[in-house]
Amino acid sequence: MSWLRNPWGRPRVLGLMTVLYILWSVTPVAIAILFAFNNGRSRTTWQGFSFKWFTGSVGSVFHDPALQGALKHTLLLAAICVALATPLGVSLALGLQRWRGRGGGTVNTLMLFPLVTPEIVMGVALLLLFLRVFPGIGLGTEAQVIGQVTFTLSYVVVMVRARLVSIGREYEEAAADLGAPPRDQLFRVLLPLLAPAIIASAAITFALSIDDFVVTQYLSSDASTTTVSMLLYSSARGAPTPALNAIATVALLITLATLALAFLVYRRFAGGRDATAVAALEV
Amino acid sequence: MQGEVRLEELTKKFGDVVAVDGIDVQMPPGEFFTMLGPSGCGKTTTLRMIAGFERPTAGRILLDETDVAQVPAHRRNVNTVFQSYALFPHLDVAGNVAFGLKYRRLTKQEQRLQVKEVLELVQLAGFERRKASQLSGGQQQRVALARALVLAPRVLLLDEPLGALDARLRRDLQVELKALQRDIGVTFVFVTHDQEEALTMSDRVAVMRDGRVEQAGSPREVYEEPRTMFVADFLGVSNLLEVDAVGEEHSRCVLRLGDRTFLAEQGETDARGKLKAMIRPERIGVEPHGAPGDNRLPGMVERAVFLGGSYEIHVRVLGGEMLKVAMTNEGNPLTFGLEQGTPVTLYLPPDALRVLRPDPEPDAGDEEGQTAPAAVA
Amino acid sequence: MSSRWTWRLVALPGVAWLSVFFLVSFYAVVSVALGNQDTLSQPVPFWNPLDWNVGYLGSVLSNIWHGGQFLTVFVRTVAFVALALGLSLLIGYPVAYFAARHAGKWRGLVLLGLILPFWINYLMRMLAWINLLSADGWGTRVLHDLGIERVFLALGLLSSRGGWLDGQSSTVVLALVYGYIPFLILPLYAALDRIDERQIEAARDLGASRFSAFRRVTLPLSVPGILAGTVLVALPMFGDYYTPDLVSASTSTNMIGNQIDQFTRQGSEKVSGAVLTLLLALVLLGLMFYYLRTTRRAGAEAAE
Repeated sequence: MSWLRNPWGRPRVLGLMTVLYILWSVTPVAIAILFAFNNGRSRTTWQGFSFKWFTGSVGSVFHDPALQGALKHTLLLAAICVALATPLGVSLALGLQRWRGRGGGTVNTLMLFPLVTPEIVMGVALLLLFLRVFPGIGLGTEAQVIGQVTFTLSYVVVMVRARLVSIGREYEEAAADLGAPPRDQLFRVLLPLLAPAIIASAAITFALSIDDFVVTQYLSSDASTTTVSMLLYSSARGAPTPALNAIATVALLITLATLALAFLVYRRFAGGRDATAVAALEV
Repeated sequence: MQGEVRLEELTKKFGDVVAVDGIDVQMPPGEFFTMLGPSGCGKTTTLRMIAGFERPTAGRILLDETDVAQVPAHRRNVNTVFQSYALFPHLDVAGNVAFGLKYRRLTKQEQRLQVKEVLELVQLAGFERRKASQLSGGQQQRVALARALVLAPRVLLLDEPLGALDARLRRDLQVELKALQRDIGVTFVFVTHDQEEALTMSDRVAVMRDGRVEQAGSPREVYEEPRTMFVADFLGVSNLLEVDAVGEEHSRCVLRLGDRTFLAEQGETDARGKLKAMIRPERIGVEPHGAPGDNRLPGMVERAVFLGGSYEIHVRVLGGEMLKVAMTNEGNPLTFGLEQGTPVTLYLPPDALRVLRPDPEPDAGDEEGQTAPAAVA
Repeated sequence: MSSRWTWRLVALPGVAWLSVFFLVSFYAVVSVALGNQDTLSQPVPFWNPLDWNVGYLGSVLSNIWHGGQFLTVFVRTVAFVALALGLSLLIGYPVAYFAARHAGKWRGLVLLGLILPFWINYLMRMLAWINLLSADGWGTRVLHDLGIERVFLALGLLSSRGGWLDGQSSTVVLALVYGYIPFLILPLYAALDRIDERQIEAARDLGASRFSAFRRVTLPLSVPGILAGTVLVALPMFGDYYTPDLVSASTSTNMIGNQIDQFTRQGSEKVSGAVLTLLLALVLLGLMFYYLRTTRRAGAEAAE
């Protein structure tokens, strides 16, 4: 620990630790991705490079009906979830931010709770809700969508509100001052200024939906409502081939691409400061 | 002529805090009217009520004899230049300037023409396609001005529009803004906490404090004839002397300071008792020690600072008080020394000596508005 | 939009959504937990609080009171979570400290490394370890060759050679650390990054050595961040069931989440499952309020 005594030295021990930590956290996944390209049936022994688990004619991501179905269902859920959670969240954020008088604090707390509630509690609660309160909806795709929207909604609200706070009221006042009626203050000024946050929150909702496991699993009904995450859970221990690694890799690429896009959009239109806030949002 | 604003009994409360306390102000058409005061004095809240961003708790806002107090901002023919300009970051310069024109019945052609004209007026021709973020502070300020002026408002409201600029640019823009106002003849209502800015630009200044107008008048009036200690103190440097008013002589007030007697022609000359007399540094004459005559006070030079155009001399006078004296640099060497400890005589001319009405005792620290909420600033 | 009702109307759809699907669904848990079950052991919720039946709650509580199976599971859950949190802090704090204070020109890259796992599907990260730790996996071989396997065997943390995935508590705890540590490091980083460097310089200026400046200034200032991050990670850990399922697949490592999952989703003891869910939620409610309160206060300070 010589850096403690040498005031100018860099803390090498800490640096080494950080490097080791990052290697430890990333390498296993990198290896799992590598095996998605294994030219053989093993997920533990390297047998050469191949795309067969992605595009091959037997048991590959793009040809096996079960894998294909899971991927499609995952993307379908994510798309519907974004389409519902984004407008709901944006309007809730606007309404909460401008809420005057009683009730605002309660609603705000209610909105934040899904962020900290363990997923299994939400899963059980929604399961019982659809079994006993809305048997008409029942389990399946609709229930999965509703469940995902319920917990992603809060992320949208938090992000949009953060942006609303940093925008402040002045632009709307300027618009009013220049003659814009309330409708135009919203559509000509506020929403365009919110656009980066809206796009970023849509992307994060998309990624959260793809990665979600517990709520989606609790509200699934049969094989047709299986998602990639559920597939990973059910086959991880007994998986016969690297096709599982391949489908996980595909989902990962979609997630990362969406987030990277959102990050770029945000940085381009809202400045770097807010962008790091978005990256750390899930904190 | 259009563009007269009259505020009657105008009041704004935020919860229990009174930000604006029933003020009556008249802003004549075509004038450059300034509301001056420390932060928290209610000047910005008053401006925001005229603009329509805050709803008055009570009172009237008459714009050319029509009460607009309850009219929403977008239906008032007044426009605002915001402190931070509030240029829309998602629009370019032309888009910003044309923003409000959308609500006038104009063809695209006419809009474009008006944008062009007003950008020329503020010397930004050719900047149409720039984004706000690509402009300097001074340029942004001009765009904000153009965006408001293109709508030909009856009154233009300016909320510390020069506050964000550096000192030099600020001085240039003060002159420019004043000239522009005179050219176009629109009523300007200007808010600032900078007394020099207020004095330089305004036709009329209202000095505000704690939600009230302390004094309103021409810059000369409020500077030369402050009615209260606060105004005297807030506008420029002033010397305050604790004196005894003992009588009157030819409508001049007789003041006693120690064993000396002074005559004062200005202010509340009929007041009596312990009070304050005020004199501006530049009105005090410095004479060699022992110079004879009335209204003279012996003292000792404590410090003399050369400021280029003038000297600032601190003189400790009878009774222990310190007076600041400003002496113009005439270019000639002084006829007597100003070293520390030099005995001198100060001449306080009767026509420069002002008797002040004593203030209602303010709370300590109140003048900086620490007790007022941030929203008022 | 001056009317105070306009904005409430804008908020209404979101509020309604959360009311029905969050509040009402939680009420469904209460009603099932305090309800009954029919002959097919399907739950019969009692919606009216006057009808509530505390029988199932009572039997779960008495099981816990008498040291039954549920107590074992609860204690194991707390032990796993506490161990995983402790290890995570031990690893995470120095890393976050380095990233915030000393990463210099590498900061962007280090941050990317810290954020990346955040966005990799949790199950994929578990899948990766399952591949590595299977009997002939690369990880198993490396652990053997480095002698770590022998140490674990000697300490009784591993029951058989190469049996990392055969119901080992140690594997579950380490998997929890691996799974949740990214979620801990980022709040730690944010807390450490927020500390004004000048305060540390001031401490050094006043004669503190590097270590004592850390101990007397940096560490105390980062305590709120440590607490908030720990709570943030503890909450989902308490509800975890998939990690033990994946890396152990044995009831000997059951956490409370596994018990709930087996009762509700997989099995047909939904009433008991609801009771356990209710108890878990009540226990965690304090932590949730604590976290929401501290983050809101921090947000209010940041907004000033």
